[in-house]
Amino acid sequence: MRIRRIQSTLVRAFALIVVMTIALLGSVSLNFFRKTLVDSAKQSTMQFAAQLSRIVDNYITYMNDIALVVMGDEDVRAYMAEPAASSPRDRARIGLFLGSIRRVRKDIDGVFLVPGAPETGGAMPDYVIASSPGAKVNPDYDFARFASASAAASASGDRPFVSSAHVENMVDGRYPWVISLVRELVGADGAALGYIQVDLNYAIIEDLCKDIQLGSSGYVFILDKSGDIVYHPRQQLIYGNLKTERIPELLALREGFLTSEVDGRDILYTAKSSARTGWIIVVVSYVSELLAGSRRAIYTFLLLAILCFTVSVFVSSFVSVRISRPIEALRRSMQEVEKGNFDMDITVECSNEVYQLARDCDIAVKKVRDLIEQNRRDSEQRRLLELRALQAQINPHFLYNTLDSIIWMVELGENQRAIEVTSSLARFFRLGINRGSEIITIRTEIEYLETYLSIQKTRYKDKLDYEISFQPELYGYRILKLLVQPLVENAIYHGIKNKETPGVVRVYGEREGGTMLIRVSDDGVGMDAERLGELRASLSRSPDAEARDGAESSGGGVGVRNVQERIALYFGSAYGLAFESTPGVGTKATVRIPLVEETEP
Amino acid sequence: MKNRGILALVALALVAALVITLAYRRDSGPARGREKVVAIFKTGAGANAFWAAVGEGVESGAKDFGLEVSIRAPRDEIYVDEQIRILRDAVAERPAAIVLAAADIHRLVDPVRDAKALGIAVVCVDSFLESEDADAKVGTDNFEAGQKCGAALLRDLRARPGGGKPRVAVMSYVQGSSTAIGRESGLRDALADRADLAGTSYSSSDDAIAYRQAKEILAREPELAGIAALNLPTTLGAARALVESGRQGEVALVAFDNSPEVMRLIERGVIRDAIVQKPFNMGYISMEEVRGLLAGKRPSPYTNTGSVDVDKANMFDPENQKLLFPVAGQ
Repeated sequence: MRIRRIQSTLVRAFALIVVMTIALLGSVSLNFFRKTLVDSAKQSTMQFAAQLSRIVDNYITYMNDIALVVMGDEDVRAYMAEPAASSPRDRARIGLFLGSIRRVRKDIDGVFLVPGAPETGGAMPDYVIASSPGAKVNPDYDFARFASASAAASASGDRPFVSSAHVENMVDGRYPWVISLVRELVGADGAALGYIQVDLNYAIIEDLCKDIQLGSSGYVFILDKSGDIVYHPRQQLIYGNLKTERIPELLALREGFLTSEVDGRDILYTAKSSARTGWIIVVVSYVSELLAGSRRAIYTFLLLAILCFTVSVFVSSFVSVRISRPIEALRRSMQEVEKGNFDMDITVECSNEVYQLARDCDIAVKKVRDLIEQNRRDSEQRRLLELRALQAQINPHFLYNTLDSIIWMVELGENQRAIEVTSSLARFFRLGINRGSEIITIRTEIEYLETYLSIQKTRYKDKLDYEISFQPELYGYRILKLLVQPLVENAIYHGIKNKETPGVVRVYGEREGGTMLIRVSDDGVGMDAERLGELRASLSRSPDAEARDGAESSGGGVGVRNVQERIALYFGSAYGLAFESTPGVGTKATVRIPLVEETEP
Repeated sequence: MKNRGILALVALALVAALVITLAYRRDSGPARGREKVVAIFKTGAGANAFWAAVGEGVESGAKDFGLEVSIRAPRDEIYVDEQIRILRDAVAERPAAIVLAAADIHRLVDPVRDAKALGIAVVCVDSFLESEDADAKVGTDNFEAGQKCGAALLRDLRARPGGGKPRVAVMSYVQGSSTAIGRESGLRDALADRADLAGTSYSSSDDAIAYRQAKEILAREPELAGIAALNLPTTLGAARALVESGRQGEVALVAFDNSPEVMRLIERGVIRDAIVQKPFNMGYISMEEVRGLLAGKRPSPYTNTGSVDVDKANMFDPENQKLLFPVAGQ
């Protein structure tokens, strides 16, 4: 479970980082990209509008040139000065002249000469010459309609007046859509002679704008300077109020950019006004279409993001497996250890901290294993030593001698003493053997020693005296059993026994800080330096070496070594036995053990 | 178990990638499936300026609303059987929607029901059915147009020399056509008891028939003060007869629909007023309705595209020019 958590945590963290990075980077760069895209679109639509405006201006210039050519013609001027004086032949010739202009250029729908001054009611419709097919002037033409155009032309002086798009009905039976250019014709004396009108076929403008595709729904429309529509692909819808454009704003703007929202779509108006006509060319583009490129970028970006995401998931899971697998291996090893199998090598195939951890675990486990082994060996040793102590206790000589003593007492009729000794012997063995525990209280030990010494006293009679004295505070503490008795036995057999005069064995117990000192001293023969050295050396010998040496001549050495080893085994090497001896004066053995509370089992 | 989370993430990523790719395809693919619409008119666009304008509106609308439209029509609007056959053929093609100008208010009901049963949206344009089977109707309110016609007549009629209500002849076109019925009832409503009606003739939308009928009426009715001609061919026939009779000064002709010829006649004073519909708007709005229907929006049951009373004084107003005069080259 924990292993999975490492992995999923890593995968989640990676995924989160990737997603956040992508989102942040993406939105920032996308915004920038969109802005750049819109800016460049604005620039190009403005260029486009300017170009369109130039084309339209070219047409106007061209119409004006035609008007100037016609105005410069001598026959025309003569006719305009005095139309009533012209013959039908003159009029026909001028009609042909105008007609030839029209025929040469298909974009010119008509050229008209209007003598007189219609704005002052002086129009002379009878003398209007038209170049249009049929060339028959509409008899129902209302010259009041012409008045506004001619007045404007007069007002603009040397510059022509350019109308908005309109239906021309000056020729009978024809209703073409045209854009009219009107100039005033002034005579040599400065008097107004009349007007010349050149009609540009509106279809030219329409064809120019109609097929312009700006994205899939962008379009172009043209306003004249008063805001009337010159061209709009959906003009009927605008008149029907089914569609609106922001004409007042565009009129105020004249040139520049305007954004608006129509049917939930953002629209960019690009306006460019023509210097010649004052018309405003408006390019309408849909922002969503301008941003079509950014949409592709978004998709590409999203796909890349998903790719990065997938890769990050794979990489993070790979990394987490790399991390968790050795941990998992280590964990399995530790589970084995938990089950008690210390007999294994913990090796993990990796080269990071986990490897070190595994190595540390390996060392720890091996240490534990060694300790367990040590413990096993120690307890074996303890059992062996205890057995030996028991063997030593059941020293056959001691038993034979005691039994001999008892036999003698019985033979001599000292029955009372024989009973005492026999019962002491029984108690001695019961105390020594019948205790399951290795550790006994000082009180028991004292009793034991008393028993032992009283038996020995029976044998040695006046030759042996003894004294047991422990500080009462020590009574509650514990001691390994059969620890003091071998020393007392040594004191008797090696100290007192070989002495001519009676001897005393003294057992003292006292406390010294956290330790207990038990001294067994005798005033026996003592040891010379050589023997004392041997004894001390034997104390520091290893149990194995001792085992090799086998049965040492004097049983005393075995007992003493046993005592030393048991103390070291139970309490550590800081404790143990020490001997002092002076030949002829006596020997003192000191047992140093820690204070062990009675509560110990 | 431990790989399930990763697999889920990878699967999620794959699904997302698929969705994005599909969305992009749909978004950028040029062949975005445009829904097919069949528009069935009463008569071919080539022969008739009115239906040409409706067709123009339909095509503009199709472009604006992303539809693919095919326009069909019988040879003439009197061929109801032919229109029914065209409708049935169109239904067999299973278009998304059908735009229909019903040549007969009764006889096209069943074919329209069949189309609807197949899940085809039906929008009626200009001429409707007697039933309410169409999902939406787009067209002139012909009763209102008839009223305008009546109002124009009342303005133009001269008083009868001998006193009494002015005598007015009604020249209609196809008996049973919803538009004809609507216009005539509107006209009668406006005139009410202020005119003396000389009866209704039906020209079958044939100007030659209308010419003969008008000649006959003019000959029969010496005191005639006005003629209401309820559609374009009838108007043209009546105008020709009136000019020939030389009585255009005393008989006020009020017409329906427009063509350059009608405009010339207005300029000449032969026709006093023309009640002009907005065919472009009709076509355009019908496509808007189709778009809305296909998008699941609630249709507006009826859209009145309106009509305009045009006379010599206002015919060149900027807002009327586009309506009245087609741009050359279109």
